[in-house]
Amino acid sequence: MDQKFEGTPKAEIRLDGRKLSRGDVTNDWGLRLQWQIKRDGEVIATPPARADISYTHPDEAPGKYEVVLQMWKYVNYKKKDGEFIDSKFIDISEPVTYTI
Amino acid sequence: MLHIGNEQVPLCGGINRRSFVQAGAAGIGALTLPSLMSMEAAGAVDYDKAKIKNCITLFLVGSPGHIDTFDMKPDAPDDIRGKFRPIQTAIPGEHICEHFPLLARKMDKVAMIRSLHHKTGTAHSNGSRWMMTGKDQIGPNQQPHVGSVVARVFGPKGNLPSSIILPGKIGNTGGPSINGQEARYVGSAYEPFFLGADPARSDFKVADLVPQEGQTDFRISARQDLLKQIDQLQRRAETSSTVQRDSAYARAFNLLTSPEAKSSFELTKEPDKLRDRYGRNTLGQSCLMARRLIERGSRYVTVNHFDTVFNICCWDMHANGSSLDNTYLDYERLLCPQLDQAFTALIEDLEDRGMLEDTVVAVLSEFGRTPKLNAKGGRDHYPPAWTNFLCGGNIQGGQIVGSTDKQGIGPHDRPITPPEVIASIYRGMGIDLETTMMPGPGSRPIRLIDAEPIAELF
Repeated sequence: MDQKFEGTPKAEIRLDGRKLSRGDVTNDWGLRLQWQIKRDGEVIATPPARADISYTHPDEAPGKYEVVLQMWKYVNYKKKDGEFIDSKFIDISEPVTYTI
Repeated sequence: MLHIGNEQVPLCGGINRRSFVQAGAAGIGALTLPSLMSMEAAGAVDYDKAKIKNCITLFLVGSPGHIDTFDMKPDAPDDIRGKFRPIQTAIPGEHICEHFPLLARKMDKVAMIRSLHHKTGTAHSNGSRWMMTGKDQIGPNQQPHVGSVVARVFGPKGNLPSSIILPGKIGNTGGPSINGQEARYVGSAYEPFFLGADPARSDFKVADLVPQEGQTDFRISARQDLLKQIDQLQRRAETSSTVQRDSAYARAFNLLTSPEAKSSFELTKEPDKLRDRYGRNTLGQSCLMARRLIERGSRYVTVNHFDTVFNICCWDMHANGSSLDNTYLDYERLLCPQLDQAFTALIEDLEDRGMLEDTVVAVLSEFGRTPKLNAKGGRDHYPPAWTNFLCGGNIQGGQIVGSTDKQGIGPHDRPITPPEVIASIYRGMGIDLETTMMPGPGSRPIRLIDAEPIAELF
């Protein structure tokens, strides 16, 4: 039997200066959990968020930073050119922003 | 007194273990298997006095690559060490893969065995038979599943089956579909109960627990009465198959009619937060169900992480671009996080409830994966070296046993074989392998496993 993932994971995140914190994930699928960090609209890092609930991104380059918590959404294992076709990361929190 | 498990168990007839052994060795009918089973059925054997610990086994179908997970080789050449980085664990100086951060923090509870190997073939089923039964054998007198042995020797503690396999039986893995999940010569009454449904689904139901449409409690009860009458007639013949069928009927009706048994499968009775902690996926919810089943009387629960290796995300990382196309991405995004979360949730939950010291938790697989990456960046089957781990029960955690060489090609020291792991599970459950026997082929009393436990674990 292949796995079917139901419902939608959700979490709240908070920004304190540059320090990010997350609450518990509800309806947690138990798949990869990561912070997606964009600077001026471009993804610059996706560090893991499972083991620790807080994270401070070390990058201090000037720009507008936008951060969101993401979880892997498994639909099926099909791939093309080494990347999944249907399965993908989805946002599970509202984004937060800060500027350096 | 009859010695079943660790304790001497009273029999109404005053028969002792020596008599049992003598009868079996002589091959005569003073105390045959059918007569012993009749005594059991009549309640002459008090199984509640056969105290042993329990076991939950997580079986990783497809098998993780040892170098990518629990036996990393960061100083090896690129085409061996792979893509993942090691992280420090709670055991000083010992590292595992970065995608197991929660397990890394729990390693003080875990005994990791890094020098497992076998030599009987590279099919998944070779490894399954080794790790499910302790012997890779097909043909006559195949070995029973460890859970069936435990069920046969120690019996049930309540209305639940002693041995349960979640969520389903391993099916097609490309070779012979004999994966060591049957009761074999210990008898059909001791077959594991297969859940056959995904406990993570909102429409989850156990088929055997839900009456057919239109089938009322009265009809169920009437059918049970009829079967009892038939059984009483058949009992006059007193063959072992009659007794076994009787036990199987009793087990099925117990499951169907016992509110406690039904309740054991109802994960909706668990707090949402705990269900989230295990992970809302098939492995996580199966592990949570395993804890509920052990808590309510099952002795041995096996959780199969996947039932096939074809066309699904699983551990079988060939990266072949077709039906076996699992890659590093599957490991990083789904497989490692699922196992990391489910396993650590299980041992935390067991510990919180004071059950970890009474429950062995074993994470097992069929083999390792080739040290050198294949042309597509995957790894293929590799029985000469792999890593599995145990914790709980009598197992001494916080240690690594055995090692492989610098490139993970084979055991470097303390080579360990699958039967030694099975023997260690038995000992971890508190079973004395020197004094505990089971009826083997032809009812001849035999040891539970033809190997010694790994001494370092105790």
